[in-house]
Amino acid sequence: MPILELQHLRKYFATQKAVDDISLTIEKGQIFGLLGPNGAGKTTLIRMITGIFYPDQGEIIFDGKKFDPLNDIVHIGYMPEERGLYKKMKIGEQALYLAQLKGLSKHDATTKIKEWFARLDMESWWNKKVEDLSKGMSQKLQFVTTVLHNPKLIILDEPFSGLDPVNANLIKDEIYNLAKSGATIIFSTHRMEQVEEICDHIALVNKGQKMLDGTVKDIKHNYKENLFRVAFSNKLMAEHLAIHLFQVKEKNEHEVVIKLDPGYTNNDVLEYFIHKGLHIESFNEILPSLNDIFIRLVEDTPAARQFQDITA
Amino acid sequence: MNKILLIIQREYLTRVRKKTFIISTILFPLLYLGLIFGSTYIASSTSSVLRVAVIDSSGYFDKGKIERENLKDSSNILSLVNYSADSVKANYKALGYDGFIVVSPESNWEAGLKLSLQTGRTLGIESSAGVQRKLNNIWDGIKNEKLGITDSIKTKLQESTVTLRQQNFNDTTANSGVATGIGYAAGFLIYIILLLYGSQVMMGVMEEKTNRIAEVIVSSVKPFQLMLGKIIGIGLVALTQFFIWVLCMFLIYNFTSSLGNGSTANNIIGGVQAIFTSIDVPLIVGCFAFYLLGGFFFYSSLYAAIGSAVNEDMREAQSLSFPITMIVILSIVLLPGVIKDPSSPLAVWGSIIPFSSPIFMMARIPFGVPGTVPWWQLGLSMVSLIIGFIFTTWFAGKIYRTGILMYGKKPTWKEMIKWAIKK
Repeated sequence: MPILELQHLRKYFATQKAVDDISLTIEKGQIFGLLGPNGAGKTTLIRMITGIFYPDQGEIIFDGKKFDPLNDIVHIGYMPEERGLYKKMKIGEQALYLAQLKGLSKHDATTKIKEWFARLDMESWWNKKVEDLSKGMSQKLQFVTTVLHNPKLIILDEPFSGLDPVNANLIKDEIYNLAKSGATIIFSTHRMEQVEEICDHIALVNKGQKMLDGTVKDIKHNYKENLFRVAFSNKLMAEHLAIHLFQVKEKNEHEVVIKLDPGYTNNDVLEYFIHKGLHIESFNEILPSLNDIFIRLVEDTPAARQFQDITA
Repeated sequence: MNKILLIIQREYLTRVRKKTFIISTILFPLLYLGLIFGSTYIASSTSSVLRVAVIDSSGYFDKGKIERENLKDSSNILSLVNYSADSVKANYKALGYDGFIVVSPESNWEAGLKLSLQTGRTLGIESSAGVQRKLNNIWDGIKNEKLGITDSIKTKLQESTVTLRQQNFNDTTANSGVATGIGYAAGFLIYIILLLYGSQVMMGVMEEKTNRIAEVIVSSVKPFQLMLGKIIGIGLVALTQFFIWVLCMFLIYNFTSSLGNGSTANNIIGGVQAIFTSIDVPLIVGCFAFYLLGGFFFYSSLYAAIGSAVNEDMREAQSLSFPITMIVILSIVLLPGVIKDPSSPLAVWGSIIPFSSPIFMMARIPFGVPGTVPWWQLGLSMVSLIIGFIFTTWFAGKIYRTGILMYGKKPTWKEMIKWAIKK
């Protein structure tokens, strides 16, 4: 059963169609990447899922029922991109406060916080103030306060910004752990390499609309260009490549990148090379990176959204 | 509901635990007392004694009369001298005088005296008025002698006078002197608390925006709950501070009355007791609490809305809150007029409209309910204040909801009202 279903969500602001008819389904336990350039409507979409905004149109189904912000909010953990903490408050008290706002009892919250602090080497922080922490440290604390109440759905908006590689890995491992223990994670970013690494499923939004949606593997397959890299142990001759099977994209003495012509298979190519007496060392398909796909899809549209008057 | 309690608790505790709260709670009354006593002390100790030479050619003035008056009032010293006017004028500094007065030989006690105080520098009005007062007292003695009025006749003349005390037949306990004092005190106290704690609410909201914690919190609670929790929390801080001050006053009052012997203390206590018997204490205290909280809710929600709309910049906040602050200040500027005539149309309508009612009504109530303030006016004023603050809280909540998640350009009042009226 999906944890979250969005059906034709719309949210218009005075000068922008921030979210314009987006439908999505997110299964339980998934790590879902929500991608899009700046101003694509990601934050507005997330704010509707977290009950901060009401959609103008459309339905949100949370855990099989119509989303009820008042009660369902305790099952969601949200780390916004614009995030921060009370600077003058002690860290322990702050975590306690935020956990209690999520409906935890004082006792449960204290136990949970101690657990998490121990796991992330933060025990000594309890009586420190946030203003004493470095940026990376406060990001760690922010992450802990987001997931403290065992939410079913965790939404992280650019979670790694401001983290050094060591702490980023630490948080990444925790994200995997949370997913393994059954939580669903929506991961919003415009950093493609992180998405490729972490997410199983992605959706790309641009200008308030969903441009594509699927597993990372499927999407890469859909956007592949039938490019192959073939390496040989003997030297390549020009006559080896004069054939209608493929076009040559790049070549040097021992290696060639080819684009297969429609209607031919890998086997046809291999057979051809073998027949020509070439010794094949390796044969790899080149799949596009998400970054390439992202850029290809977004490129045609202006980088910054233009303001327009909405008459609806 | 539980969440609002948590927010109230946080807002309250973080403020009350702060050193600045403790210091300001203790220091404010001390500072206030210090200011009152200190300023009177400084005023009395620094004002120099004015020395004036009197050159009398009329023969009316004699040393004895002048000395007697000098003893009564030592802020200026008159001395009868035999020098000529010109020599005093030339040497007044060397002789130790600040100025001199010449009484001409043609002076007549029936016609009165027109004198001039000749000085080397310009004096304050108060100083020359003191000299005039003293001269008049001496002159009275001279006239009495000429008319053959003895001291016993004089006492009779002074003691037998007409006194007029106003009595409101609808409210026989009303005492307009005491009412004026209480009216001013209550009006000013509410004014100070509205501005002081209103701006605290505004800064608190701005802090949440600057720290970027607003969105984190509103993903757990409704923006309205956050705003309300903050306002109530800070309101409770104001009440706590007020309560501590009242407690201090009560303790000091009991302490001094247990000392009891000093005649001054007795006089003060007697005066205080007289005041408390002449007014309806429970009504005034109850109304004060109501108008304090009502006014605080009314204004602080507007301040919260402004805090949510602006960014880190304090100047932006000041320019947006200026119209609100002006309304509060206007009430206090009009306060003396209200107290002078508590039944004038300005006073009546001003104490019903919620923008000014917390200050105006509290200034009128000590004059007597229902004598000066009929019950219907009090009722109407309370109801309109309640409706008023429900409206401003609702209105502010709408602005707050949008503003708290907006970063960037400072909005205008027009844009803020647009946020409020959109669904």
